[in-house]
Amino acid sequence: MSVTVLETENLSHVYSKGTTSQVHAIRDISLKIEKGELVGIIGHTGSGKSTLIQHFNGLLKGSSGTVLLDGKDIWSDKKNIRNVRFRVGICFQYPEYQLFEETVYKDIAYGPKNMKLSDEETDKRVRQVLSFVGLDESYLEKSPFDLSGGEKRRVAIAGVMAMEPEVLILDEPCAGLDPKGRETVLSLITSYREKTGSTVLVVSHSMEDISKIASKVLVMNNSQLAYYDTVDGVFTHSSELYDMGLNVPQLTRLFLKLREKGYDVPTDVYTLEKAGSELLRLLGKGDIR
Amino acid sequence: MSSYIEFENVSFSYRDEEEGTVNNVIKDLSLKIDKGDFVCVLGHNGCGKSTTAKLCNAILIPDSGRVLIDGIDTKDEDKLYDIRRKVGMVFQNPDNQIVATIVEDDVAFGPENLGIDPKEIRARVDEALKQVEMYEFRTFEPHKLSGGQKQRVAIAGIIAMKPECIVLDEPTAMLDPRGRREVMKTVKMLNEEFGITVVFITHYMDEAVKADRVIVMDEGKIILDGAPREVFTHIEKLRSVGLDVPEATELASLLNRHGVNIRKDILDIDELLDCIVSLTEDKN
Repeated sequence: MSVTVLETENLSHVYSKGTTSQVHAIRDISLKIEKGELVGIIGHTGSGKSTLIQHFNGLLKGSSGTVLLDGKDIWSDKKNIRNVRFRVGICFQYPEYQLFEETVYKDIAYGPKNMKLSDEETDKRVRQVLSFVGLDESYLEKSPFDLSGGEKRRVAIAGVMAMEPEVLILDEPCAGLDPKGRETVLSLITSYREKTGSTVLVVSHSMEDISKIASKVLVMNNSQLAYYDTVDGVFTHSSELYDMGLNVPQLTRLFLKLREKGYDVPTDVYTLEKAGSELLRLLGKGDIR
Repeated sequence: MSSYIEFENVSFSYRDEEEGTVNNVIKDLSLKIDKGDFVCVLGHNGCGKSTTAKLCNAILIPDSGRVLIDGIDTKDEDKLYDIRRKVGMVFQNPDNQIVATIVEDDVAFGPENLGIDPKEIRARVDEALKQVEMYEFRTFEPHKLSGGQKQRVAIAGIIAMKPECIVLDEPTAMLDPRGRREVMKTVKMLNEEFGITVVFITHYMDEAVKADRVIVMDEGKIILDGAPREVFTHIEKLRSVGLDVPEATELASLLNRHGVNIRKDILDIDELLDCIVSLTEDKN
């Protein structure tokens, strides 16, 4: 049985309401996100992705419509909104700019301390999330400012994970990283989800990254929800995605084109292994070794 | 052809006086880039790409060795303006590069600083905005533009100064797929139609395949240098320094290893598609 963790009903947000520069940042969004999903969020710049995710933990309040967390309107009790922010954690773009403490330990402990957790529990969490992001304990007493860009990014992500949010939202966690750095961050996200069973939402401009890690894809276009479907369901719409300023993953594009030419091939191909074995089959060369 | 950018045994380090540490970023680097070339520079974070970019227009000066731009040594302080006029730079974050509140004012900022006649500035701004296809947005406020549009405004600001060379340091890192397509198309056009020399730093392999020449850096040195078709056949070497190859190249190489008679130097999906189609036709 799937359980809905996060739900929006007819959610809209209007910036500068009542003025001449009034804009609908998001319009009439209704969707249900199930517990344990890894949702990839894609959309052109200005499509409303960032505005949408800031509604999920009450950093923004919709002009109309509701946001439900575990079936309960997050704004039903205004005093409780701080608690919602612990349960839905957002890690913003370039989170390493927000590191500020003297040591890695203190920086990761900042969230749990704000939640008024005991020192013992905080300590346990700091050490656990540090291993989630693939750093060893020798990092704890280092200054975050002495780390490389990729390490800083991982410490910043660990800081959000340490609050053990039921829903973890990451806005462009791989932006500006080199290929190896991207791969490290993507695998830490998938293993975090596997180990904790948490729901994870990832905003990205890379169709390849999304296709490799997501279970569902949410597509925003001009402030509206264009698709919320499985990875396969979304990436079959290649021409529509192109018109929205997006794309399909490169390997998928190859198979969509082969299918167009009348070849009997699947189109839900996102990894090199699958692409290789399908092409070998097509060419009558057996399977991948 | 004469070389336009020349690095002669260049070394450069960042020094932290307080901590007393020295970080040797560039080590005895020699490099020649010809006028009119489109060169892509690849390398993992911290390999010295951005430092190399900044050495190209005298933002940084080598500790030893020298950098010549069109024959001018970047150490020559009297020639600083000439160098900055010849080599324009575009950075990763468009929001950090836009200074004015109206698009056309922003594009005019560079030429104004060069002390150019206002009538000439007007003409250059209009021309630059038309070249990057942003003329219809000339009276817009920059914050209302998309990332790709802002980045094209930043490029217009550079070309209004009529540089001979543009150095772009990860100009597409923060952009969505359309923004990336737009920026790449604009830069290609400036190179092909106006002969502007381009140095393009990126982490995207699919952008690098569009260059005439790819330079791969690691630990402050050049480890691979050649046409993209040649460079990307070194899959293992690229992997070992934390980089990728285009997925099409990797797939072709995998097929090749499994006995398929296919070229290993395929660069993009369309080339791969053509090869597969002709292979299946041979089979029948």
